[in-house]
Amino acid sequence: MKVVLKDLLKRFTNSDRAAVNTINLVIEAGELAVLLGPSGCGKTTTLRMIAGLEEPDSGRITINKRDITDLAPKDRRVAMVFQNFSMYPTMNVYDNIAFPLHAIKLGRKEIDETVREVARLVNIDHLLQRSVRQVSGGEAQRVALARSMVRRPEVFLMDEPLSNLDAKLRVQLRTEIKRLHQETSATFIFVTHDQEEAMTLGDKIIVMKDGDIQQAGTPHRVFFAPENAFVANFVGTPSMNLLPGAVQKTASGAYRLQLPGFDLALPARFNDGLNNLRGDQVIWGIRPEAIRLAAETGENCVSGVVELVEALGSRDLIFARVEDQLFRVIVDALDSTAVGAPCHLRFDGAQMHLFDADSERSLLAEQTTAGTG
Amino acid sequence: MRVPKSERILAYVILITMASLVLAPVLAGSITAFKPQIIWVSSPPTWIFEPTLENFEFVFFTRKGWLYLRNSLIISIGSVALALILGVPAAYAFARFRFRGSKALMQWLISLRMIPPIVVGLPFYAMFLNLERTFNIGLRDTYPGLIITYQTFLLPLVIWMMRGYFADLPAAMEESAMVEGYTRLGALLRVVLPVVWPGIVATAILNFIFAWNEFFLALILAGNRTSTLPMTAGTYIVRTRVEWGNLFAVNLIIMAPVIVLTIILRQQLVKGLTFGILE
Repeated sequence: MKVVLKDLLKRFTNSDRAAVNTINLVIEAGELAVLLGPSGCGKTTTLRMIAGLEEPDSGRITINKRDITDLAPKDRRVAMVFQNFSMYPTMNVYDNIAFPLHAIKLGRKEIDETVREVARLVNIDHLLQRSVRQVSGGEAQRVALARSMVRRPEVFLMDEPLSNLDAKLRVQLRTEIKRLHQETSATFIFVTHDQEEAMTLGDKIIVMKDGDIQQAGTPHRVFFAPENAFVANFVGTPSMNLLPGAVQKTASGAYRLQLPGFDLALPARFNDGLNNLRGDQVIWGIRPEAIRLAAETGENCVSGVVELVEALGSRDLIFARVEDQLFRVIVDALDSTAVGAPCHLRFDGAQMHLFDADSERSLLAEQTTAGTG
Repeated sequence: MRVPKSERILAYVILITMASLVLAPVLAGSITAFKPQIIWVSSPPTWIFEPTLENFEFVFFTRKGWLYLRNSLIISIGSVALALILGVPAAYAFARFRFRGSKALMQWLISLRMIPPIVVGLPFYAMFLNLERTFNIGLRDTYPGLIITYQTFLLPLVIWMMRGYFADLPAAMEESAMVEGYTRLGALLRVVLPVVWPGIVATAILNFIFAWNEFFLALILAGNRTSTLPMTAGTYIVRTRVEWGNLFAVNLIIMAPVIVLTIILRQQLVKGLTFGILE
């Protein structure tokens, strides 16, 4: 079911800025969309408005062309899984899963069949008679998943359902949610502040900040072509190296970038954007993965000293100091280097990002014109 | 934490001393309740005697104690029931919704419990009198009159206690039920109330004890028809003498349910405070 948010605005009385600031968003039928952003960015409020738990100040919400903006939560045919609540404590697992079915007055036999079928789907059919005290946190969240599925909703809403679980369980359940999404082919809207979770789960990632949508697109698009400096910084771990600098047009028409202590040639794909830039101040960005340790210095290369090495397993994260700037560099663990060693950093021109220092928007022409909706 | 033995002994000595100071008069009085009239005030006191129930018989039947017991029960149970019916939904609203003045309202409610009963007793008397004269609604010396009046000190306590229980529950609990096909009221009844049930029982018991022990408002607003047990205790202290045996017999009848309920309340409070919610 296609979910469309049109000019959705929500203000809370105790705050002067909007929690959700007139956003527009289309989530296609069967898509797994992830709302991603830091706390307070409006992602949960957006989800709660779709569920009907918060009332928008203005704007419309439609599911499959049905306007649900003014419907009670129970009439929206959506299901929701919460972060800090999983099981009704006075009911056992079976009654928990059956609970939504009692609301629609199904027969006992039908309820029983549905409960058992759904319980099998999330691998808790052996726990049906257990009470809250007898299930683990992960199992309780599976109960919540099962309960959300029994009424065969059109849209699943998930508000950080994995945040309270330990790392191993989180990865395990993440895979299972992905599998459920494929099996049910329903529309999923998933809220998280964990960008890794967003990357692995999402068909589409919607990055939010301060009530605004910063960028909506595929995980690849959001990672490789961030539309602004916030997205560039927020998505990816370790995060992108971002440095303020100034651009200079050379006689040949190409641009060079002045950074503290060194300068670089900029690829031609930035030329259109730079020609339209007001002033010369930019933010230059490069992912830790796009920096190589070079044997000797050369073009687009700078010398520094290794200050810290963190082992990430097959790869190492190196902090290299150049002047007063600390670069994060990801290298293959086998090619790693020692603390205190001098090093040459080579920047991959194809993977450079450039943002207007004022608006923080990307200077790649195609992106600056592309909308965020 | 291990407490050294010497400190524990000291604690027990202090506690036993304090408890004796409080309990000695109660014990002496309770023994007197079973003394025949001739040795009520013998000097020195008689401690060895054949216990009798004649004092209880006298206060219960001759002086119509059973009637006052009935009044006390009706008024206490009635006012606790009304306080719960009004207070539990109010507490839920205070716990879940923020509205203009909600904080001030909560503080005002607690202030109601700080003022002495005479401050509300006399205005209530004047109000009831006016209602009688102007609208011909008689509330003096009626059960509804006392039950309404008792709300001034029961309702704030119900709201404050129950708000705490509700606030401890994640809002997502009702919200989950609301998304799953129920109205907020349906979610409250089917999901939230079963969870806070021990809290409701604890609140009811505590409020019952307050209502049961209430003396001053009843003295002002009750009359022949609605006298409560604590009021009648006073009638055994007359100008010429104190009917000690009868007085303590009444006192025991008043105390007995309070003692039993307090023991139950202790268990309920522990249950109420540990709902067994995960996380």
